[in-house]
Amino acid sequence: MNLLLAPFRGLVDFFQALARIHRIVPWLVAYVFLLPLPEILSATGNDYYIYLTNRILIFILLSVGLNIVKGFCGQVTVGHIGLYAIGAVTSSLLAINYGWPFWAAMPAAVVVTGLAGIIIGLPSVRLEGAYLALATLGLGESVRIMIAVTPALGSSTGIMLIPPPQVGSFVFDDFQKYYYLVMTAAMIGIYLSFSILRSATGRAFMAIREDVIAASVHGINVPANKLLAFVISALYAGAAGALFAHMPPGFIHHNNFTIIEMVTLLLMVVMGGIGHIWGGVIGAIIVYIIYDNTLEFYHIQPLTFGLIMVLLVVFMPQGIGGVIDRYLVTKRFVKLREEKSDGAA
Amino acid sequence: MDFDFTSLFAFILFGLTIGVVYGIVALGISLIYSGLDIVHFAHGEIYMFGAFFGLVFSEHMGVPYPLAILSAMVCTGLLGIVIERVFYRRLTRAGGGYTVAGMGMIICGFGMSVVLQNIAYLSWGADAEPFPVDLGEPFQFGDISLPKSYGLTAVIALLLMAVLHFFLKKTKIGLAVRAVAANKDIAFLMGINVPLMISLIFGLACALAAAAGVLIGPMQSVQVEMGYLMLMKAFAAAVVGGFGSLPGAIVGGLLVGIFENLGAAYISPNHKDIYAFLLLILVLMVRPSGLFGVEVRVKA
Repeated sequence: MNLLLAPFRGLVDFFQALARIHRIVPWLVAYVFLLPLPEILSATGNDYYIYLTNRILIFILLSVGLNIVKGFCGQVTVGHIGLYAIGAVTSSLLAINYGWPFWAAMPAAVVVTGLAGIIIGLPSVRLEGAYLALATLGLGESVRIMIAVTPALGSSTGIMLIPPPQVGSFVFDDFQKYYYLVMTAAMIGIYLSFSILRSATGRAFMAIREDVIAASVHGINVPANKLLAFVISALYAGAAGALFAHMPPGFIHHNNFTIIEMVTLLLMVVMGGIGHIWGGVIGAIIVYIIYDNTLEFYHIQPLTFGLIMVLLVVFMPQGIGGVIDRYLVTKRFVKLREEKSDGAA
Repeated sequence: MDFDFTSLFAFILFGLTIGVVYGIVALGISLIYSGLDIVHFAHGEIYMFGAFFGLVFSEHMGVPYPLAILSAMVCTGLLGIVIERVFYRRLTRAGGGYTVAGMGMIICGFGMSVVLQNIAYLSWGADAEPFPVDLGEPFQFGDISLPKSYGLTAVIALLLMAVLHFFLKKTKIGLAVRAVAANKDIAFLMGINVPLMISLIFGLACALAAAAGVLIGPMQSVQVEMGYLMLMKAFAAAVVGGFGSLPGAIVGGLLVGIFENLGAAYISPNHKDIYAFLLLILVLMVRPSGLFGVEVRVKA
């Protein structure tokens, strides 16, 4: 394991050194590193890999958002795919029926998804316990049924010919161009998630996760912060949904939002480690690649994913993030402490 | 057009009978919640398994219908006990409730529901299977004819509730179950076999779900995807009645059934499956403790 992680430790050291200049520097460097990825992938001569990368990036956005409500704040939601569907449908309907450009439709979709989050979250967060989970379970399936039976929302044919985004005459109309858009969005999403975690709000979330009563005694408005966490993650889901809807070929269908997608998303967060941002990202990459490569085994896919999820929760609740923490971060602390004690001696 | 009171009455009657089934599933969920502090997300799939067991017994093995209900209840109860023992016990041992372990519990239940659904799909296929039970001519209430299976459902459901009530309130084991629900540590000190009682609670709840599954079989067809919607409606029923309250679960189930049928009749039949969710949100907004006023509190 140590040997396996050794190159990553070098990478972590490198980025931490960059972070000493300014917090945003490592992000810019990583962004520049990631820019030529589609060129490298297109050298394989297969557009499919770029498409896969785009889907992964959208799911990274979703799983990072889910991690905020679940990992930071400790509230369980199981209907996140419903919010994602709301974002996708809102954005595509605005673009098709009213001719809104992507840059107006996407923020509108994000706002609508946030409002939906408030409507669902407001009654549930006042209560203790699993009420948010109960309400969101209904949300996920109800939104899908709503889309499936309402002709104006696409019904059984789905929504087609959703226009791709456009800047001036530059149209994001193939996977390679769209990559720049989703990659930027995913990077901003991850960066904001770290900012939230570092802020007073993020600390309030974590206090609620650890102990609700203790948090309220320390003057944290528990319902307001729970709602905030849920709505922030709804905003992430809305953005991811809009990005998904406008991705070429511009087609969404209610089958994109089924329970298997929900399980995939949950598995990403659980496998990556609940509350671990990079864990969520790594989980999204691993799970989506597995998901996409095992599509021909669709009949046992839920079984496998569900079983992995159950076993992970039972035997490895920290997920991959826990392993990373143990082998990369903790080792660094040990090293630092040794250096300090050497200096003192 | 005049307002048609006969059809209104018919909608309410059909809503009541389907509501009884929601009520039984919700009863199981409430039983698990009040006894073990677990919100069981795989209960819909347990219900689906019960329906399939009933189908196997009555169709392929020729067991008479009432006996099929009993056998399905026993089989599903055992299945539930095995699942709880193998997977959930490890999590609840670390503390149930709403802690981080409680979150693990919900995720585990959700994963388990997908696993069970997939196993059922592999064993019985994705097609909706009819569950024909010949019970004779329908009942007649004036102009309304109510199929016998609906009447039978109501009777058996009431019988199950009465038996459960008798068991919990009048027998010694029922007393032990209530003691475990109140406080596991003290119950253990009183010499009650707590692990056994936990298995019993879980098995009972799963058997109730199975009974609901076999009862609903003749009304609708049996299919793999029936569990998820039922779970949604049973949760709504449980919340409407007050989560964790046993009589509340039944009343909530009836209300959800009536609300859903009236909505389907007078608003839009296509959106039938959404009304339960709307009712859930409505109740959470107006009266979150539900009709029977279960105090929602933090267990510190």
